[in-house]
Amino acid sequence: MEQPHISLKRRNLMLGAAAAGVAALTQPLSVLAQGADEIVIGGSIPMTGVFAFAGVGINAGMQDYVKIVNDAGGIKGRKIRYVPEDTGYKVDVSVATFKKLTSQNKINLYYGDSTGFAKTINPELDRNGQILMAGASFASELNDPKKYPNQFLVGPDYTEMFGILLKHIAKEKPGAKVAFVYSDSEFGRDPIEASEAAAKKLGLSVPIKIMTPAGSVDVSTEVIKLRRAAPDYTIFHGYILAPIPEFINQGKQQGMKSKWMGTFWTMDSSTVMKMGEAADGFMGVMPFRYYYDTEKAPMLEKIRAMRPEYQSTAYVQGFLAAMLFLESAKRCLDAGKPLSGPNLKAALNSLKDFDTGGLIGVPITISGNSIPVGRVYQADMKAQKMVAASDWIKL
Amino acid sequence: MRIGTLKESYTADAALFDSRTQKIWLAIASMLLMLFPFVASDYWLYLACLVAIHVASTTGLNILTGYTGLVSLGQAAFMGLGAYTVAILQTRWGTPFALNLLAGGLVAMVGGIIVGIPSLRVKGLYLAIATIAASFIAHFLFANLKITGGTAGISLPPARMLGIDLDTSFRLYWLIVPVTVLMLLAAANLFRTRIGRAFIAIRDRDISAEVLGIPLLRYKLLSFGLSSFYAGVAGGLWAYFFRVVTPESFPLTMSIFFLAAIIVGGMGSILGGILGAVFMTMVPELLKLIVDLLPGGAELTVFLSPVRLIIFGGLIIAFLVFEPLGLAEMWRRVRRFFHLWPFRN
Repeated sequence: MEQPHISLKRRNLMLGAAAAGVAALTQPLSVLAQGADEIVIGGSIPMTGVFAFAGVGINAGMQDYVKIVNDAGGIKGRKIRYVPEDTGYKVDVSVATFKKLTSQNKINLYYGDSTGFAKTINPELDRNGQILMAGASFASELNDPKKYPNQFLVGPDYTEMFGILLKHIAKEKPGAKVAFVYSDSEFGRDPIEASEAAAKKLGLSVPIKIMTPAGSVDVSTEVIKLRRAAPDYTIFHGYILAPIPEFINQGKQQGMKSKWMGTFWTMDSSTVMKMGEAADGFMGVMPFRYYYDTEKAPMLEKIRAMRPEYQSTAYVQGFLAAMLFLESAKRCLDAGKPLSGPNLKAALNSLKDFDTGGLIGVPITISGNSIPVGRVYQADMKAQKMVAASDWIKL
Repeated sequence: MRIGTLKESYTADAALFDSRTQKIWLAIASMLLMLFPFVASDYWLYLACLVAIHVASTTGLNILTGYTGLVSLGQAAFMGLGAYTVAILQTRWGTPFALNLLAGGLVAMVGGIIVGIPSLRVKGLYLAIATIAASFIAHFLFANLKITGGTAGISLPPARMLGIDLDTSFRLYWLIVPVTVLMLLAAANLFRTRIGRAFIAIRDRDISAEVLGIPLLRYKLLSFGLSSFYAGVAGGLWAYFFRVVTPESFPLTMSIFFLAAIIVGGMGSILGGILGAVFMTMVPELLKLIVDLLPGGAELTVFLSPVRLIIFGGLIIAFLVFEPLGLAEMWRRVRRFFHLWPFRN
């Protein structure tokens, strides 16, 4: 019987693939040479996938701050090395990245990409005891220094973001009716229960809560329900963009007078501008200053000098994360303490009225796992900018 | 040198491992599996555990889709059922992990049988959609039941064996890999039995199978049950591995991942399931390592990450076009080549 045989081309292809595989396999075994006096920041960064828009900005922000510090001679003569890797915003890939980076480098500081990752890796951080971690997640659950002793949030948690908005509303219109529209996800549901109670405490009422699938498009029935409740303010949470513009457009067409609000991941300038004319006046909470803010901010000026084009709020978040990381490391080294997770965290918690160079408009104090400060900004569609609508609000 | 294999009896022909060479290679492979944890870094151990979990679940899907011909896109949901069962038992009652894993498998099995009920009436794409519906229902239950901890999910303590916490990849390896190997052996044996042959008969032509006296509903449900049992145990291992279970841990894309794994690996072949799971898990990682070898650092990562995904997608398409029977068929070709070497190549 004629036996099928392997063609030369196919054999070469297989050999090539095998050679590439072997080359790749051998690489991680040779641990990269690392200076003993280096400070290493590892990163599980989502540069592909649904969260890539933020990951690319975060990566650039971290890179730039590390460059600034290295150009100034490092920290106490120690150079900083930043080793990021793409995760595609998948928890298992992110954990693999963490394992890989920690087995190849002596990581001191780590940036994680999601709530899922932060929760999954927490036992490992506790066991390892060498790493302080921050990340892209603002989940309220992570804002617990007992449960997550080696982690912190680079801003207020989602419940605190709602708290800032509600405080602003209570001041602007006491007794107002506030609707919550949120996505059916961990991210979306996170602040709802606690915020409903917080609203009541502030004398506000929550006549309606609407949950939709994340990124849904057809929301006409939800808009009708919302219109019936006639809220003075509507806060969206757990979305990036869709279905917010749909809600606003349809709501306005049906004569709704509500003010529309969002939380951090919706509030990047480019995201809000994509909502179109109907979103003029769209408000939301932002823990950082925008790239183009004109108020005095020497660090923003530095950023603008390095990168003349607009940088997203995710960039500022990454930049600030690196700043807080390295400030903690500096304080540890100044006190002559080794760079361990608990020491780094204690150094972070020693920040009292710390000046971020204007990235946050007021000096910050980190007593727990979050930075409970933010400001309400509003979209000015004519100027294509976000403008401040309140002072900095501390919780 | 060996030239072909000689079978002198039906028993020899139906043996699980059919030649001495194969047995020797399997012994070597087992030795390597035992040695691996002692030489590999944490990263490779982590990947080995992840691959083993994927292999277990893929093999389950292969029983259902590859051997019985019933398409399912609900494998991740059944993994979720297993993972939640393990997490609940572990956190509430602290029962031993072996019992929890078994319970996880059984709960998923019940789920699988329920979802499998429409399989007598609907086939192919229709069945695929029915199983997708099941995964939506499972997601809803995970997110809304009180016992599952809602959207925040459940964090569970590590499994304990002989008073030792299985909290590192090294320790978990000794739980995950043996369980997966046992499951693989069971699956390979299944197709030497009456039940396995009935599955294959149903896949090849269900009407003929019924004419031959195979009760279709019973065997289809059995196939769903077994497949889900595998998924449930894999989900349980997953829960112990990651130690956090949330409703978003088992998305629909994960089910597609397993389906892709059996197609790329080779449907209706135990080896195919293994190779497919290894391919789908490891190739993106290997591509990442290759990208890392290129100079350029963090700046380059931003540009090369999407390229990596494109190459991975391209590789899958290339496999399907050039070797539709999957990686297992490529392996068979290689084996055949060495069987006859040096007389024929």
